[in-house]
Amino acid sequence: MNLKEILYTLCKSDGVSGNERSACEAALSMLKSYTDDCFIDGFNSVIAHIAPHDESKPTLLLDAHIDRIGLIISHITSDGFIKVGKVGGPDIKTLAAQTVTVHGVKPVRGVVSVLPPHIKSSDEAMKADNIVIDTGYSADELKKLVSPGDTITFDCEPGSMIDTRFCGGALDDRSGVASVLYALELLKGKELRFNLDVSFTSQEEVGERGARIAGYNLNPDFLLEMDVSFAKTPDSNPAKCAVMGEGVMIGIAPSLSREMSNELISLAKAEKIPYQLEVMNGETGTNADSISVCRQGAKACTLSIPLKFMHTPAEIVDICDIEAVARLIAAYASERSSSND
Amino acid sequence: MTELTELTRELCMLHGTSGDEAEQVTPRIIELLPDGCEYKTDALGNLIVTKKGEKAPKNKVMLAAHQDEVGFIVTYINADGTLKIAPVGGISPEVVPGRRLVFKNGTVGIVGGKAVHQQTDDEKAKLQKFSDMNMDIGAKNKEQAEKHVAVGDCAYFEPNYAELGNGIISAKALDDRAGCAIMLRLLAKELPYDVTCVFTVQEEIGTRGAKTAAYTVNPDYALVLETTTACDFAGNEGEKRVCELNRGCVISYMDRATIYPKELYRLAFSKAEQKGIPCQTKTMVAGGNDSGAIHTAVGGIKTLALSVPCRYLHSPCCAASKSDIEATERLAYEMYVTLCEL
Repeated sequence: MNLKEILYTLCKSDGVSGNERSACEAALSMLKSYTDDCFIDGFNSVIAHIAPHDESKPTLLLDAHIDRIGLIISHITSDGFIKVGKVGGPDIKTLAAQTVTVHGVKPVRGVVSVLPPHIKSSDEAMKADNIVIDTGYSADELKKLVSPGDTITFDCEPGSMIDTRFCGGALDDRSGVASVLYALELLKGKELRFNLDVSFTSQEEVGERGARIAGYNLNPDFLLEMDVSFAKTPDSNPAKCAVMGEGVMIGIAPSLSREMSNELISLAKAEKIPYQLEVMNGETGTNADSISVCRQGAKACTLSIPLKFMHTPAEIVDICDIEAVARLIAAYASERSSSND
Repeated sequence: MTELTELTRELCMLHGTSGDEAEQVTPRIIELLPDGCEYKTDALGNLIVTKKGEKAPKNKVMLAAHQDEVGFIVTYINADGTLKIAPVGGISPEVVPGRRLVFKNGTVGIVGGKAVHQQTDDEKAKLQKFSDMNMDIGAKNKEQAEKHVAVGDCAYFEPNYAELGNGIISAKALDDRAGCAIMLRLLAKELPYDVTCVFTVQEEIGTRGAKTAAYTVNPDYALVLETTTACDFAGNEGEKRVCELNRGCVISYMDRATIYPKELYRLAFSKAEQKGIPCQTKTMVAGGNDSGAIHTAVGGIKTLALSVPCRYLHSPCCAASKSDIEATERLAYEMYVTLCEL
């Protein structure tokens, strides 16, 4: 199992919130190596039971969201240009002159229009309302290919950078999905402490909606939520960021189970898994917020992957951090042998 | 000779910003020169090509298109392995954050900063300055970065050629590899008169190559083959559209570097009409090109610019229409013959 290949496949899939089907299918086909009991639910989330449940054991859910941010067609102008709305919170300032794919009857290539420096005089950044997408087509031709409601992804060929760094669109949160798949690989043949379920949920970027549905249906006792979080860049506040390449970010927050956080920290120390702490002062801004309050509630912790340039067309992660997340999931889920004490 | 769109595409894939033309662009153009051409390069790197025609022209005519493109140069490597970059040529800071840039050795980088979630409203509303931007190549520190890039290396918009609808193609560097492609194909023809074609350098940082090329060639007339700013997309009305795609070759009366001789401007329109070649003019005085340097060189050279209308100039995805490139190619040939005989 090669993490870069998994990431490549996942990042190549579209799957803007509400339109996750192709990404779900890509993830589902990879999940099938670990269980036959997996499917896509009626709300575009991938659901898997890794082994038959044993009533005497608590259930652990591994969740990561499958949707990605993007745009949605709101209007086609009389001269054949596309006006859009945001899906989730893309960084609009990074979209000028970006190439995009419009997911219509067939994929249609487009460019986000921008005034050239010869003409533009203001220093105002692009706003979502001003985005115009150029596909070259006239309105009549374009309307045969795309319609209002079709989603739009930002083009970025996923690929390796220096050493263990990897660049792609939708690494938020396909890298979380990859960490779960890699953890399942590490858990192959191991005794588990839990009944193990997996969900790759839809519509996180628009309000954790798939997670509310999947959380209710799966009704876990414990949740590990794998999402991405902010990695330090030269202009950012170091107190609010993790350092890329320095390991899994274990969440500590009033909304998370401190018992789980502490156990994960001890495990990381014992297993020599590189980790850093992500301390939040309320909710986490991840699916953990929703899943932990489904039905009678679940104890939850976040295991985050440091990511640079979140919600832009080209995000960056470090493969080593994803491995660290997967190793910590595997350590947490597997039965501790007596040699561990 | 290769078909016009394919040749344009191939040239757009090459990396050669101002001052960095000699490694990829110039050698490839030399390889593509048709039989019967003679060439030399000058101190700046201009590629000056001559080809004999059936006879000597009444007037010596020089065609010019620039080889260079806008790009970036690394100015500093930060301790954390990120890079400071400066634009080479006029690039709006608007099109840089979020872009993937590549080096000629294959190293890929992204220009970016803190997540949108952590930006203030003011940071979201205003364009970033180049001095505040950092480029990330995935290096963990300065030492690792230095194994892949050095200060002074040039970075390029990642090539991403695409065919859009209505015969429109999109690529980096259409400005002015489209002009280079047109000249290469003209050189492949059986020509009625001797011609000089110059693939100029350093246009984007002040039409510098054109200054020496014009001096060396010293023609009676010059014909500059260029791309020019089309703003014919939703949100821009009337004269603000400047010129439009699929409306033919742009013949300019004036830009910010040149007031074109009225008789040549009129001649080009009448020639286009006579030959049934679609053409238009610009509805704003904007931009500038090698004509500015050429028309004031060696005591004055009458110069005309013929341009391909092009959206999103100086961005990673300039967009131009095949039919306009063809119209410009046809009119360039007609005007070369006309000026030789004038």
